[in-house]
Amino acid sequence: MALPLKAAHASETEDFESSRNIVKFTVFKGSDQNHAQKAELASFEEALLPHLDAAHNLARWLLRNEQDAEDVVQEAYLRAFKSFGGFHGSNGRAWLLTIVRNTSYTLLKKNRAADLITTFDDEIHAPGHESVSPATILENSEDAELIREAMDELPAEFREILVLRHQEGLSYKEIADIAQIPPGTVMSRLARARGKLKEYLAARIGKEK
Amino acid sequence: MNCEEATKLMDGYLDSELDPITSQKIEQHLRECPKCDQAYKIHGSLIRVIGNATPYYKVPAELREQIQSSLRDAVGAKDKGGSGQPGQLSVPRPQGERRPVLSQVPWNWLALAATIMLGALITAVFLPRMRPPNADQFLATQLIASHVRSLMANHLMDVPSSDQHTVKPWLDAKLDFAAPVADLSSQGFPLIGGRLDYLNNHSVAALVYQKRKHFINLFIWPTTPEDSTAQTMVEREGYHLVHWSDGDFTYWAVSDVNPSDLQNFKQLFEQQTARH
Repeated sequence: MALPLKAAHASETEDFESSRNIVKFTVFKGSDQNHAQKAELASFEEALLPHLDAAHNLARWLLRNEQDAEDVVQEAYLRAFKSFGGFHGSNGRAWLLTIVRNTSYTLLKKNRAADLITTFDDEIHAPGHESVSPATILENSEDAELIREAMDELPAEFREILVLRHQEGLSYKEIADIAQIPPGTVMSRLARARGKLKEYLAARIGKEK
Repeated sequence: MNCEEATKLMDGYLDSELDPITSQKIEQHLRECPKCDQAYKIHGSLIRVIGNATPYYKVPAELREQIQSSLRDAVGAKDKGGSGQPGQLSVPRPQGERRPVLSQVPWNWLALAATIMLGALITAVFLPRMRPPNADQFLATQLIASHVRSLMANHLMDVPSSDQHTVKPWLDAKLDFAAPVADLSSQGFPLIGGRLDYLNNHSVAALVYQKRKHFINLFIWPTTPEDSTAQTMVEREGYHLVHWSDGDFTYWAVSDVNPSDLQNFKQLFEQQTARH
């Protein structure tokens, strides 16, 4: 075993000697690239890893499913990393959330087209819950589970705008950019989303009573 | 401005997203129209409380690690001339290989079944995370809700009195503990009454103080082992909460006054009750 190995080694050394420049060149280029990429990764992580919770929260609300949310977040981070060179803004969170949102919608469209249609549930809209007063809603409004159920019933465009405003505290301008709607539409959509959420909460509270 | 216009702009006003002139017009309308003013107050507190109580899905630690490691893999893949397909992981995972989200691979029933199983498993594991992150935050939400409720439902006080010698016996008779009551009117925080409230599964005393046009609800109950004794100051959605404890009792003051006023109130109350 020892002899052939030695022979192979000897011939490699020869090759190395004859093409030293090329070899060296490749090695240097590789390590430079490596350094640049490591630096890029570090600045990417610094800019965008702090928004992991926001990304996951938005995806989770949009997809209403933990596995899909995790897939989307992972995919969105990889996409963001690939186009990080084109990102020169200062608002990393809004930029990332736009990618998360688009990735989520692609998946929603692919798998569950029905989700994107604003549904009008007869059962929810049955008359009878008008008697539930705002005070009663408020009394139940700390019930996270109740809110989650009511939120999950809203169409995606409403869930999205409520998350962006209530949980992320984003401005109308930022929301318009992320949701890709005209700034003038943000207020009316938000009002409709809040109205619907209150309605659904009232319906759930009314049913429980 | 009429009621219809005001209603249309209410959400923008609530979110402080209107231009100054429109905001002023709405303010003026709210001053003149009690109906819209009431609607605005109710809408505002509902939105705040609902916003606070909506579960926030924090990222699972495993996913954080996974993303970091797949980013490193992506750097590695670029090194090799970007042979990996976009969005695909270059290094195979030892177990439970991830389904590329937007892959061209058609669904098959086995994958569907596996996804459902995994989904169920993950739901079972992560369901507890959907609860409000911790007990303190939940308590803060309860406190704010109680404060808001006391202001809107005309139920600020059960015993409207500026006399601590009226409020204290009234509360003592209703509760199974004797809550300390202090009159701070000479220091700018007149006592205006007391109320019974129910928080964290027990009856509590609520003292109502006024500072200019603002109200301060001071919630008091005997300290239980679950109550933290650390002093805290919390700000949530424009409300400030100050918490302290004197060994026997746990105190939570809630108000929309500025933090320094509330801190000042706390110190005055402590001084007054320490003397007794």
